[in-house]
Amino acid sequence: MAGPTIGALLESAVAAEEALAELGETIEDEWSYVNDLRQAWTDRLDEVAAGPTGAREASPEIVDAIELAIEEAGLVHDPHRAIDWLSTLPQVVLLAAESLA
Amino acid sequence: MRFQDAAKDGRAVVYAAIQADPLVARAAELLSQATLGERILARAVMNGESTDADRWRRIFPSLFSSASAERAVEILAVSLAVADRGEQVRSQVRGAIVEELTARLLARRASPAAVRRERRILFDGVPAEIHPYDVTVEAAGAGEAFDCKWGARGINADVLHQLDDARTHALDEDEPLNVAIVVFDAERSCRVRLDAQTAPHAQTRLVAIEQLDTLAGPRQ
Repeated sequence: MAGPTIGALLESAVAAEEALAELGETIEDEWSYVNDLRQAWTDRLDEVAAGPTGAREASPEIVDAIELAIEEAGLVHDPHRAIDWLSTLPQVVLLAAESLA
Repeated sequence: MRFQDAAKDGRAVVYAAIQADPLVARAAELLSQATLGERILARAVMNGESTDADRWRRIFPSLFSSASAERAVEILAVSLAVADRGEQVRSQVRGAIVEELTARLLARRASPAAVRRERRILFDGVPAEIHPYDVTVEAAGAGEAFDCKWGARGINADVLHQLDDARTHALDEDEPLNVAIVVFDAERSCRVRLDAQTAPHAQTRLVAIEQLDTLAGPRQ
């Protein structure tokens, strides 16, 4: 059975970004920054997902890496740390997707 | 224009102890040799919730199967040691690591004696800033001032004003002073933060995580 495409995994990362933004925007002073940051990174994830890398089938190693990174983001409950992860998660996920694709 | 040691107030004394932590020097030395991927590993682990090394190795599989896997193992270990500290100490240690990393990279191209930490810059007739600059390069006719941040969120109006004020005051004295903000975060995130700032920053160089090695290159 074929594994998921990298694009499908990146869609999951976009969903994780949305969850982090929801938590981060509870810091009222950072509402605009959080939403601008979410937009900037989800645009980038969507762009890679729609490109040649996104169409490739992910190896089990990439699936594991990206799923674990998303899981790690899900462990964040502090809104300040969520803002940090809003920027960190896409860097981690894109590194996995692009280095092993 | 002249440089001066910052006053040794309570904050400076406490922070000096953080800066002197051997963990800071070890992390900065490893990160000064690291690839971008390894720097992202350090950022993720030091920001992370998990302290299970095996889990992080699975999140970054390419780093641990590469020719530099040994360095990645060391970076992971030092990053986990930082993550293991309490939240407040972790935050201070991360900031100190970015400063030490910046100083070490600058010392590859400037005289190590010219690279200084926690210095104020004084100008004739201008009240001195309270906060010192994190790192300075004190070379005649080629001064530089750097503010260092762990994340893009650290970029704020105060920092941008202080850097730009120093640059313009130096120009008033016909002294070129290059100013930069060094951020251990992705350029994309830094640009988002900077775009929302109204403080002057057109002449302030951004050195994001992708460009850290340029600090060791020619003065910009």
